[in-house]
Amino acid sequence: MKMVLSQRQREELNKAIADYLNSSGYTDALEAFKKEADMPGEVERKFGGLLEKKWTSVIRLQKKVMELESKLNETEKEYIEGAPTRGKRSPAEWIPRPPEKFCLTGHRAPVTRVIFHPVFSLMVSASEDATLKVWDFETGEYERTLKGHTDSIQDIAFDASGKLLVSCSADMSIKLWDFQQSYECVRTMLGHDHNVSSVAFMPAGDFVVSSSRDKTIKMWEVSTGYCVKTYSGHRDWIRMVRPSPDGGLLASCSNDQTVRIWVVSSKECRNELRAHEHVVECVAWAPDSSAAAINEAAGVDNKKGAHTGPFLASGSRDKTIRIWDVGAGVALFVLTAHDNWVRGVIFHPGGKFLISASDDKTLRVWDLRNKRCMKTLEAHKHFCTSLDFHRSHPYVISGSVDQTVKVWECR
Amino acid sequence: MNSCKTPVPVDDSDGDCRWLSIHKRFLSETREKDADVIFIGDSIIQALQHTDIWNELFAPLHCLNFGIHRDKIENVLWRINNGELDHIKPKVIVLHVGTNNHKNTPEEIKEGIMEIINTIREKHPDVYIVVPTLLPRGQHPNEIRNKLLQTNDILKTNLENLRKVELISIDNGFIQPDGTISHHDMHDYLLLTNAGSKKAFEPVHELLLQLLNEGEPEKDLTPSE
Repeated sequence: MKMVLSQRQREELNKAIADYLNSSGYTDALEAFKKEADMPGEVERKFGGLLEKKWTSVIRLQKKVMELESKLNETEKEYIEGAPTRGKRSPAEWIPRPPEKFCLTGHRAPVTRVIFHPVFSLMVSASEDATLKVWDFETGEYERTLKGHTDSIQDIAFDASGKLLVSCSADMSIKLWDFQQSYECVRTMLGHDHNVSSVAFMPAGDFVVSSSRDKTIKMWEVSTGYCVKTYSGHRDWIRMVRPSPDGGLLASCSNDQTVRIWVVSSKECRNELRAHEHVVECVAWAPDSSAAAINEAAGVDNKKGAHTGPFLASGSRDKTIRIWDVGAGVALFVLTAHDNWVRGVIFHPGGKFLISASDDKTLRVWDLRNKRCMKTLEAHKHFCTSLDFHRSHPYVISGSVDQTVKVWECR
Repeated sequence: MNSCKTPVPVDDSDGDCRWLSIHKRFLSETREKDADVIFIGDSIIQALQHTDIWNELFAPLHCLNFGIHRDKIENVLWRINNGELDHIKPKVIVLHVGTNNHKNTPEEIKEGIMEIINTIREKHPDVYIVVPTLLPRGQHPNEIRNKLLQTNDILKTNLENLRKVELISIDNGFIQPDGTISHHDMHDYLLLTNAGSKKAFEPVHELLLQLLNEGEPEKDLTPSE
């Protein structure tokens, strides 16, 4: 690219250079430059710092231009192709679309996790304010608050029937809550030596798994509250644990930058998956319906030599999402576009898409087959910490450090 | 004896122990939050977190703010010696302190700040330490302003060649041609308003971005035609 400066611009540039030399104390160079550029006298004040200012602003402006261009593309596409109407939407294709249906306020500190109830039109949010709040996502109504923890709640989960809720907290406890009638804490399980970062029900609902900053994963029997197994191996704070859909494996991720796969029955660590370059914040198991799209994205023929899975997604502070073939223990591909830590990932129930939440304040919808971010929702005013996709109804929910919970309708 | 170099807690003359409570809260934050950037220092730092640019520019970088109103160098030194930077691995620490040490000489203030830098360096050999210059104060020209100005000059010559220490000038543009400071920039002629903090701390943000992204592959930012 050839640059041509006008006489006036050249003079300004010279003055800016002179000011730079002057303010940096390069007096000899300044004198020589003034002489050669034929520029006697003092440099006027308005040129103070001009060169540095231009130097930094060019990059900032270019970045801004790129952002605006991609936004424009997105908007044009939305405008031309349009989103299907409510009547024509299909469960395999629907994705969350702005604006949000509800913005729910009530928590007094950052929201750490949001989940849907598996049966009723309810959702639960957990917060650093040590409370759980129950909301109706169809009407946007606040239902109730569950109190009992004494420090930040880190994670929550329902059993398959939705009759029991489990929560874990920085207060080092795990609590089971009756979600049928009393909405009271029915059991408190203690045993971790540090902040309990994550909790989940095993698919059969008879056990709960938890992970902690004490570097262990523990399994608890729901009926007795006893800790029956401890899985150790991670070298640092474990951020999340999730059982596989068949209940045979556990996936966990940690500040040690690995994802690990554990055999539930033998407590053995079957795989140590390395590729992320920073803390791994979250993991999600892929539904069977994702296999075709993931294989295509990984570049293998679906008939011969196809990956059989099971598949797992992980999100990290290195700003990427990775998809793994857990069966083979290999990294398949990486999704990049987030501008900050990835805090939550979940597969679309239809299997073709993945949705993620990030500290860049957005939710993103990823087209797995093409490994492409197909939609960005400017979701919150502060970090997005968590999201959930309803298994059968067209809703996505998100939670944020801005203390709100948002409900997004899908079309 | 230079009082800046002897770590002391703030004298709890009000009797409500607020200072110690804040310190304890900071300690718990170091244990629970993984921050990439820590701001530590005096009222200027504390006030920053209530401004628009904190929410807009600094919060997304994963920052913690350990500023306490009216803190002097020796108080910040005490806080650092008592754990505020112990259980955390930041990439950058931003240090602004000294504006309340106006009873000390510029040389003493400089030595106090050097003492803090050395203490941080012992705990974090590889962290970047960003030192914004001290801001002018008072509506009209006054002795403290002169002293802080001199301190900035001494700091410039002393910090220049230190490894991974970045002095950044933020005090320009506040003193108007008639020598006064506008309440639009500093509402009480000490603490920054939204507009004032934008003026002072936008360059700091710019610098933080550069330091945090160091070593990352450079993106091609040429706009497409």
